[in-house]
Amino acid sequence: MRNYEIRVGNLFLREPYGGKKMIPKNIADEFDQCIKCGLCLATCPVGKELFLEKFTPRGKIQLAKHYAAGDLEISQHYRDIFAKCLLCGACSVTCPSGVELKEVLVGMREEIVKKRGIHPNLESAIKSLFVNHNISDEENNERGDWRDDINELPDHMYERELAEVVYFVGCVSSFFPMVQSIPQNMARILEAADVDFTILSGEEWCCGFPLIGAGAPEKMGELIEHNIEQVKGLGASKMVFSCPSCYRTWKEYYKTDLELFHSTQFIQRLIKDGDVPMGELHQTVTYHDPCDLGRNGGIFDAPREVLRSIPGLTLVELENNRAQSICCGGGGNLEIADPDLSASVARNKIEEIQRTGAKTLVTSCQQCVRTIKGKVRIEKVDLDVLDITDVVVRAMSDA
Amino acid sequence: MIIDSIKDEFRQIVGDEWFLDTPEDLVVYSYDGFLPEFKPSGVIVPGDRDEISKIMGVANREKINIIPRGAGTNICGSSVAREGGIIIAFHRLNKILEIDRESMCAVVQPGVVNADLQKAVAGYGLMYPPDPASMFVSTIGGNVALNAGGPRGVKYGVTRDYLLGLEVVLPSGEVINTGGKALKNASGYDLTRLMCGSEGTLGILTEIIIRLVPLAPARATLQAIYSDLDDAATTVSAIIGSGIVPATLELIDRTVLDVISDYGGARFSKEAEALLLIEVDGEESLVEAQGKRIEEFCKERGAVQVERASTPEEAEKLWQARRTAFGAVASLRPNCIVEDATVPVKMLPAMIRKIVEITKKYDLKIGVLAHAGDGNLHPLIMTDLRDREEMARIDKAMEELYETAIGMGGTLSGEHGIGIAKDRFMGMEFNEASIELMRGIKRVFDPNNILNPGSFL
Repeated sequence: MRNYEIRVGNLFLREPYGGKKMIPKNIADEFDQCIKCGLCLATCPVGKELFLEKFTPRGKIQLAKHYAAGDLEISQHYRDIFAKCLLCGACSVTCPSGVELKEVLVGMREEIVKKRGIHPNLESAIKSLFVNHNISDEENNERGDWRDDINELPDHMYERELAEVVYFVGCVSSFFPMVQSIPQNMARILEAADVDFTILSGEEWCCGFPLIGAGAPEKMGELIEHNIEQVKGLGASKMVFSCPSCYRTWKEYYKTDLELFHSTQFIQRLIKDGDVPMGELHQTVTYHDPCDLGRNGGIFDAPREVLRSIPGLTLVELENNRAQSICCGGGGNLEIADPDLSASVARNKIEEIQRTGAKTLVTSCQQCVRTIKGKVRIEKVDLDVLDITDVVVRAMSDA
Repeated sequence: MIIDSIKDEFRQIVGDEWFLDTPEDLVVYSYDGFLPEFKPSGVIVPGDRDEISKIMGVANREKINIIPRGAGTNICGSSVAREGGIIIAFHRLNKILEIDRESMCAVVQPGVVNADLQKAVAGYGLMYPPDPASMFVSTIGGNVALNAGGPRGVKYGVTRDYLLGLEVVLPSGEVINTGGKALKNASGYDLTRLMCGSEGTLGILTEIIIRLVPLAPARATLQAIYSDLDDAATTVSAIIGSGIVPATLELIDRTVLDVISDYGGARFSKEAEALLLIEVDGEESLVEAQGKRIEEFCKERGAVQVERASTPEEAEKLWQARRTAFGAVASLRPNCIVEDATVPVKMLPAMIRKIVEITKKYDLKIGVLAHAGDGNLHPLIMTDLRDREEMARIDKAMEELYETAIGMGGTLSGEHGIGIAKDRFMGMEFNEASIELMRGIKRVFDPNNILNPGSFL
């Protein structure tokens, strides 16, 4: 399988195609490989929900091809079709001919923005990104509010001038109360292990990830520069992220010499080194691989190792796990573009979880927690939805 | 072109939401898994049989072509609007209506996905054997229309062998029922089986009664590697001749093994010229004994390496090469034509030798995958459609391939169908009287020739 180097400004190397139109070169390389076998239809959560061929990965690839060949223009219909996608990447790993479908789907969103502007449902969110530097409507200096609930908060409030590790909290768990336990847990774990860490607090800006899915990655520059600048001078050698999407965005779009870790990798190391003692937790849980951490980030084992290190805990796998994991419904800005569709995908996910018999779901992404927990609450499902840091903190308490 | 007032009639039948004619919708229903594309004039997605009946009434009156399409995974071009018309899609008819454990059958709508059905019946300790490579996507309606097969065909047969009855909407809009839940049926012409493999040219399937069998409690999986293709082929004959009926007996040739290695899949020793993947299923004691005998057969006939899986995980590992094969081959060149010529089992070695000869003669790159146990070959022709000169050579090579297969008592297609991929070769397998008879059948069902016209007849 081919891997393209993805960097801002590099995705759209333009070369003539079919003598008719200028189109993104690497996108054309991809859909020329599509043999129309349709196997991607088997794993696309959106295609399974909406049936019609245009909503399937194969249909979208063909639409990209016809656009590239100049047969069809980017219409409103095109925008609606390409917005109905979780960018979960399930199609890319299913494709027998190695078509990097996700690259085409992201690339087409960029083309759509160029021709018809940002998706109307995303406009206000994107605007606020540049006013507030986060994805919420709130001011960025409230980014550290999750600390309010911490007992015995140290005087430095985790904002240090020098530190070995920078913990990048991410917008969602900073601003959404449902998942603010994640940074609280992280602080507790890092403190317990005597990790010399700091947060950026109000100087942490959105990593830029939402702009990739919105089709406007060229706007990321300002955010990237700011964050890089903030990290400089802290004397840090490592960064840790509890958000898989921030982690991936830093890995793929930021140029930095710092060693980057997802929280599961970092915690796994701490446990292995004996820095976080684990008490017993007699519970059966199942684990959901977040798309950006697992399939798209390649991190499958770290979260499982963390769970296995907890005595008494039993892990039962989902039918579709690791690279075959099915998206929770929270990817690709779908939640904003088509909330009903996102909710249907979440419902399917919950049904798969229930088939394991486990009453507790563990995942390692604040967005997955939000999406699944939100649906669980609405439908009053008997399921406890936890971030992996919740589980670690519980096990620590019993140690 | 279809005039607006007719489109409105279709819209009234199914509702605005389910008649599609935007440029985007037309483009994505212009293809299936085969190569050429034809843009339809519309796509209609009915919700039940009565809507289909009304749709056919309008289409028949106005002489508008109707092309049934399941998941569009067939690789012979049997669900494209070759002569224009409207695609009828079965996305909404996707329910398993009944699983009847006592009568060992199920009643399903045509849009049910094969793998979903398999999963559902497995919960009852039952199995629906046909397992085409497309099974996670392809629909039972499409499987019936194409008489789909799969690796399990050697022991369990193909779709036709599991078909008990049908509900069919005729081009006139009339509804007929054929067969039923009874396992035996000697009444009248066998219309059920006539519909099977008819590629959407005779009627629209709206309900399908399929036969189920008990799920085998145990299975053994073996992989044998040979340094000589003939040794692999004689092993196949030896196994089949010994009275053992394996559930699966697959062969992969050197060309494909090399491509799999290059693709980053499994690695094979340099001397590997062929690989056999063999599976037996049934009662545990029987499977154990048969597994041992097959292992001996392989060794006696020159296998350089024989592996037998002792856990499901190990079995899955052995399947890896076979599962990666198509993707690996498909990724090598822009296009891959999957051939389907099938010969009597004992002719398999001769046929493989012929393919090797044809490959050299026409200077092509062809790998061979075969459901060896039933003589069903899948030569994989790696090419680039844009290379006209090479395509011309491929055309000649295919002609020679079919002539050979048919000369051996074989057929143009074991399990993929004819469609628009092989219609021009029908004369090789059937004489004029046979083809005229088929055309006559078509005229009786569809006097206005509106159902998938321009397909194989």
